[in-house]
Amino acid sequence: MTTWNVVTLVVLTTLVAGVLILLRRARQLERVLAASNQKLEQLQRQFESFVPGDVVERLTDERGTYMAHRRQATMLFADLRGFTELCDRLDPTVTITILNGYFQRMSKAIVAHNGHLTELVGDGLLALFGAHEPNPWQGRDSVIAALAMRAALESYNTQLRSQNLPELKFGIGIHSGEVVCGVMGAGELSKFSVTGDAINVASRVEGLTRKHGVDVLITEEIRGALDSRFRLRPMPLAYVKGKVDAIQTYYVEGGG
Amino acid sequence: MSQLLNEIQWGEPILQPITDLAWEAEVKRRAGRVGEIDRRVAPNKWLREACVALSCYRPSHISQRLFNIGSLVTAQENSCRYCYGANRAFMKILGYSESFISRIERDAHVAELDDKERAFIAFCRNLARSRPRPAREERDKLIRLGYSDLTVNEIAFVIACGCFYNRIGVLTACPPELGFERVANGFIGRLLGLVGPLVRAATTTRARPTPVLDVETLRNGAFGEVVVTLSGLPAATVMKVALDGAFAPTVLSRASKALMFAVVARALVCRHSEAAARKMLAQENFDASEVEAALATLDSARLPSSESRLLPWARATVHYQSFAIQEQTRALTAEIGDSAALEAIGIAALANAMVRLAMLLE
Repeated sequence: MTTWNVVTLVVLTTLVAGVLILLRRARQLERVLAASNQKLEQLQRQFESFVPGDVVERLTDERGTYMAHRRQATMLFADLRGFTELCDRLDPTVTITILNGYFQRMSKAIVAHNGHLTELVGDGLLALFGAHEPNPWQGRDSVIAALAMRAALESYNTQLRSQNLPELKFGIGIHSGEVVCGVMGAGELSKFSVTGDAINVASRVEGLTRKHGVDVLITEEIRGALDSRFRLRPMPLAYVKGKVDAIQTYYVEGGG
Repeated sequence: MSQLLNEIQWGEPILQPITDLAWEAEVKRRAGRVGEIDRRVAPNKWLREACVALSCYRPSHISQRLFNIGSLVTAQENSCRYCYGANRAFMKILGYSESFISRIERDAHVAELDDKERAFIAFCRNLARSRPRPAREERDKLIRLGYSDLTVNEIAFVIACGCFYNRIGVLTACPPELGFERVANGFIGRLLGLVGPLVRAATTTRARPTPVLDVETLRNGAFGEVVVTLSGLPAATVMKVALDGAFAPTVLSRASKALMFAVVARALVCRHSEAAARKMLAQENFDASEVEAALATLDSARLPSSESRLLPWARATVHYQSFAIQEQTRALTAEIGDSAALEAIGIAALANAMVRLAMLLE
């Protein structure tokens, strides 16, 4: 074998070895990329249980921002009555089990009627209708959701009764108005939410359910979005904190 | 995140397949094979014709590659297990690799695509999803990237077409073509994938060219204002025939159909489509306040009682979870019967396609 042939053989062997190493590296990189993608996808899906999917997509796209915007939205506040006292009496594990069962059922009723469960604070919840995208039927949707929540609570109470557990009672207040929607909070704790006077009114209306002794109250703004199929009963005018004039509310007896 | 194929919850079929041998022979001649959807829409003449015409459509201004990718992501966005599975299988037979398809459906950013193709996919997803419907600026972005006006119009049509067909699949809960999927994902599929370009050529030449109609003809007819945006494309003819057929006297009243279109238009905040639907309702002697009341309450005393549930249901077909809308459709079918339900499915699907297409008027 001549020197030339030896050199050629060495060069060729080196080249082949190089190509093989490169191919191996490429395969390794592809595996790493696939694993990272899978992990990111998993993270994104988990993230979607905290923030609406559309918001997550906008936050994770190239621009990585969610533009705040002003929008007409409907807010539904629900709060459990006397649950704090129940907490003192019950075993903590039982308390959490009852509460989680309640939230699961309420969330299902809200989502089924185009709402989005935005906040859980203690035993209270806030659901938004029309905050993520325009919804011309947001008032109607929120009331139908409240009626579905009422039915779901009734059926949950039957189950609780059969297990010798205390029954639950709630109050729901619904109001609509212009709000600012966006991702709010500090870097460590941010969330999609809304702010504005309308949200305060909705919260106060929920408070009025105790005063009027009813479970679902709506404001004049919501009443305007409903037709005669909904059975409403006007409640006495009432003053709420932060409002100069007394507000008119309606008890939703049923319908839809 | 959009659902992947195995994540879509799918119900039992809502409508049973109907055997119409003469029609099946016609479908076979035009489309090459008779699918599960063709058998389910067979009893309704305008709908079955629209399904075949739209599924046989071959784009004149966008490449077969973009057409295939667009159809796949549109089916994925619409969570149609039937169409998503069929499109995916078809792409395998055409020679697209599993890893390429997987990247497209998971994250187009990491797929081997150029900026134009990525923008195309983003547009497909946004228009199919329409939360909210893309605005003028998204159309302009495609044009800045080098797509012509006519190409963008055809892209919008292809997506609208997908939205129509996907809804037929979802709302009938059409069983997936599992046999075809198995073949495509197996040895034969891999073998055919190797000769992908030949398969592509064979599938492209089968379709008969669709005539291109003039602007005046397009403008005269149901929703002519929207159809005319497609002038210069064979797509305009396909859309016109489907819309004119849908609004000819059939099972459901013309007023119900126009109101269903108006509801979808309002849900997607499309003033052009709503105005066109209102014009049609005026011809049915609905005054403006009656239309407004019907749209606000999703009900109208002017509709026959059997059709009163159609408006809230039509609204639910705009954005949905497949299994949930299938359950609603099943309940509707039990109430109004197979024949009316089939037509309602066709109308809702066509309204969703037409209102998405109307973004070209913005």
